[in-house]
Amino acid sequence: MQSSARWMAALRCALVLLPGCAAAAPIPPPLPPERLTQEVLPARGPHWVYVVDYAFDNEIDARVHLYDADTHRRLGQIDAGFVPGFALSPDRTMSVVATTYFARGGHGARTDVVEFTDTATLTTSREIVLPPKRLHAIPTLFNVAYSGDGRFLYVSYVTPAASFGVLDPAQGTVLAEIDTAGCMLVIPSGPNRVSSLCESGRLLTVTLDSQGHEAARSMSAPFFDADRDPVFVQGISTARGFAFLSFLGQVHEVDLTGAEPAFATPWSLIGPGEGEWRPGGAQVGAIHRALGRLFVPMHRGGEGTHKDGGSELWVYDLAAHRRVARWRLEAAGLKPVVAVEVSQDAAPVVFAATEAADLAIIDAGSGRIRHVEKRLGQTPWQLLTP
Amino acid sequence: MHAFDRLFEQSSRALASRTSRRSLIAVLGQALTGVALLPLLPIDRGSQARAADAGPKPAGPENCEYWKYCAIDGSLCACCGGTSTSCPPGTGSSPITWVGTCRNPGDGRDYIVSYNDCCGKTSCGTCDCNRNEREKPLYRPSRNNDLNWCMANANANYHCTVSVIVGVAEI
Repeated sequence: MQSSARWMAALRCALVLLPGCAAAAPIPPPLPPERLTQEVLPARGPHWVYVVDYAFDNEIDARVHLYDADTHRRLGQIDAGFVPGFALSPDRTMSVVATTYFARGGHGARTDVVEFTDTATLTTSREIVLPPKRLHAIPTLFNVAYSGDGRFLYVSYVTPAASFGVLDPAQGTVLAEIDTAGCMLVIPSGPNRVSSLCESGRLLTVTLDSQGHEAARSMSAPFFDADRDPVFVQGISTARGFAFLSFLGQVHEVDLTGAEPAFATPWSLIGPGEGEWRPGGAQVGAIHRALGRLFVPMHRGGEGTHKDGGSELWVYDLAAHRRVARWRLEAAGLKPVVAVEVSQDAAPVVFAATEAADLAIIDAGSGRIRHVEKRLGQTPWQLLTP
Repeated sequence: MHAFDRLFEQSSRALASRTSRRSLIAVLGQALTGVALLPLLPIDRGSQARAADAGPKPAGPENCEYWKYCAIDGSLCACCGGTSTSCPPGTGSSPITWVGTCRNPGDGRDYIVSYNDCCGKTSCGTCDCNRNEREKPLYRPSRNNDLNWCMANANANYHCTVSVIVGVAEI
């Protein structure tokens, strides 16, 4: 067949003198044999991001993509099972997925487990089997979380009775289960404190002893109104704790550096005449801690639109409580933004995942869209920077 | 029927008093009670017939805009071999659930709707529908649609979600 094809090509050239025929005539030498190798991760770049894809249309197969926004490359993947939680160790050497597997794929015996993956090699090396109580819900920073010193790992349980597990990641053991009735999630602070959001609008804080058992607990005064204006459970890491945005755009900053949580006076994202604008999505804000900038996906909407993605990103000076920019992303061609994160370096980029599962890379200073990575997964609902 | 009426009265009072503190057990108990009564519940077929007589045809159970889906977040079982009130063959219904309050445009009434998940097979993966009227975050679980309500089933895998009228909401 090859010689026949060459004969036909030569005939066409002879008959019509097509341009380029002369250059196409020489037959290049065959390609050399290739060698199968194993790629290794390069040194961590300043604009890497973990993209947690819940794979909502085939939920038993969630995964975490590692992506480099500078080279526009997917660097690797961590398997994440069924409605996972994802966290990074304080020293960033280890990632942990809290997940559930069924023995026969979609069915069969349930195993809840946390799996540890080396962030330098993406090799999953260890696991701790949990009681079958792990929280099955949307991603937050508080489904699974490390203590500040990495000594403990906390895992949210809901059966639907609420509690949490205390794990020893070094020894690979479950140390304790602590009841948190009426309060959910594991919000870590210091080496041994865990707070949970309560339906009463309060914060429950449990202090652990050196063995991971409960030593004390305290309940704060209400800091938000769960009926009138509840806070999103997707807290945003700040220099001294976390910020929680409310459905109507209030910012509740919680300082967790002391023995008891301290609540700053709430302030509003919404200016005069902007009452129809609201924050929304699956990851509703990101903070550059050194620059004191807050980035929030905002949309026009009313009651029931708190999961709608943002048509714009609004940028705030966190200390001054003042908006400094509005980036009209939908007008620039992006679908609504459902998750947002920002790198913490001196030349930061904002990562914005859309309803279409695209990941936009945006200059955090100017708002210029540098790149749009199309279809990075299926439902990328959480972004974490290493 | 006295017990039936009392139950709805309790549900309505609970809804009307959302400023009061409610324990997790109490709100889940409300949801569980609604589920226990599912076989007794009325289904308003007349409203659909009336709506069909006038103007554009309202959205049906395979459409996310269907009125009962006002606080659903998941795949519609009506697209997966079930209906808006029945789980697909071979799946199991979740005994625990969350509830919403939706207005039926056919009769102008607000109804308490129980959103039960159907469990035991992997995601149906079609007719994804995410509506959140009066939906609350995780810490108010009886009003939250982000939880996998198959969590307590023998097979906890999530397949799809149904919407079942529990009763008229007296707001």
